[in-house]
Amino acid sequence: MWQFRFPTWLVLFVFALLVQTALLPVIFPVGYVPSMVLPVVVLIAVYETPRRGLAAGLLGGLMMDVWSGRTWGLNALTYAFIGYLVAILQGKIVRDQVFVPGLLAGVAQVAATPLQWVLLRVAGYHFAWLGFVRPLPSSVLFAMLMTPAIGGILRFRSRHEIESMYGPDL
Amino acid sequence: MSGFIYRFRRPLVVILAVMLGALSLSYTSSVRGKVVELSNLLATVVSPASSSLTFLGHQVGAGVNTVSQLFALQQENQALKQKLLLYNSMKLELTQLMADNGRLRGLLDLRGTLTGWHLQAADVISRNPDSWFQTLVIDRGTSSGIQTGMAVIVPQGVVGRIVAVSPTTATVMLVLDPKSGVGAMDVRSQSVGVLEGRDPVNGTLTFQLFAHHPDVLVGDAVVTSGYSQYYPKGLLVGQVVSVQHAQFGLTEQAVVLPSVNFNRLQTVMVVLSHPSGSSVPPIFGGSAP
Repeated sequence: MWQFRFPTWLVLFVFALLVQTALLPVIFPVGYVPSMVLPVVVLIAVYETPRRGLAAGLLGGLMMDVWSGRTWGLNALTYAFIGYLVAILQGKIVRDQVFVPGLLAGVAQVAATPLQWVLLRVAGYHFAWLGFVRPLPSSVLFAMLMTPAIGGILRFRSRHEIESMYGPDL
Repeated sequence: MSGFIYRFRRPLVVILAVMLGALSLSYTSSVRGKVVELSNLLATVVSPASSSLTFLGHQVGAGVNTVSQLFALQQENQALKQKLLLYNSMKLELTQLMADNGRLRGLLDLRGTLTGWHLQAADVISRNPDSWFQTLVIDRGTSSGIQTGMAVIVPQGVVGRIVAVSPTTATVMLVLDPKSGVGAMDVRSQSVGVLEGRDPVNGTLTFQLFAHHPDVLVGDAVVTSGYSQYYPKGLLVGQVVSVQHAQFGLTEQAVVLPSVNFNRLQTVMVVLSHPSGSSVPPIFGGSAP
């Protein structure tokens, strides 16, 4: 199925980055622009194994790093961790189409922020913690709403559901 | 006799009534004023009922008229709603055009004031996906004469400098970026230092001053010092909002609020070249001659 393929992820990340760099800055003020890549990573990881969730996060983060043109690895490491974490967590809870992706996206955003702060410190960028976490509530809310919305539009399903829809010989 | 009366009672009643009518007519024609008064008295007595009935009649008439005009009113309402929509969109368009006009007029004024300067206008097409690094992409590149290191300005002040360029696009590092490093000077005290991005969220700058006692006060204007290889001297950067001692009290640093609203950047000017040693006129925050 297309949602489990690597080129699909690539296209989704390109589209997410376009929205994030060209559309969201028009809506959100400087410093408060939320990540569009995070909802996509969470959405992919919710229906994947931890290893593939990690790979999806690594791909999305790396593309974001390349797009950003600054510290390559900051987002790659963060989103790889997020992909892995979400894929682990989703295996331990009951899965649905709306609440669980939204909840996991919120948890992922909360987990990503301190991790990025630490990574940026390691890279030599000393941001004040309070200033750094100020956009967190709006980012969490955005991720919690956007993740199920994208999943609904793209009709993301679990492997089990898709196999039962199209037969066992997929 | 009684039998005769009973037999012709109806014609007799009619004849009697005609006679009474004739008598009444004859009498009332001679005493007209009193009859009118009687009539007026009667009208006064029944006036509440009359006026109520008249009001009711008018209301019923108006209601019937409204019902009959309902369809026409509905059509008229639709037409008016469409007109209102049109006028609202025209108003929005007008507001947008006024904003664009103001922005472009500012850029034209800037171009007109900076005689001898070569400026290239460019539109902002995207921002950095990371909130912690402040860069943006403009729609002009080497094919328009833009090169790495050129300053980018707007009428309100300094935006940043070009850090990467392709034939059709260029990346601008904003002064808000933590690695921006703009050589700056306090206009009042002439104290110099370096400006760097301080807080990616509230968009303030750190003004690290070189002097031990620099005498910088809140409200001072901060302009480019001209000591940097990138920025011409005298471009307005912002205003001092607080002054604080750095660690161990050896140096002072100030917090500067940029004069440019980075949320509303649409069109910017890239400084392709400027006369050597020139300074920007005070209207754009330049140091006074």
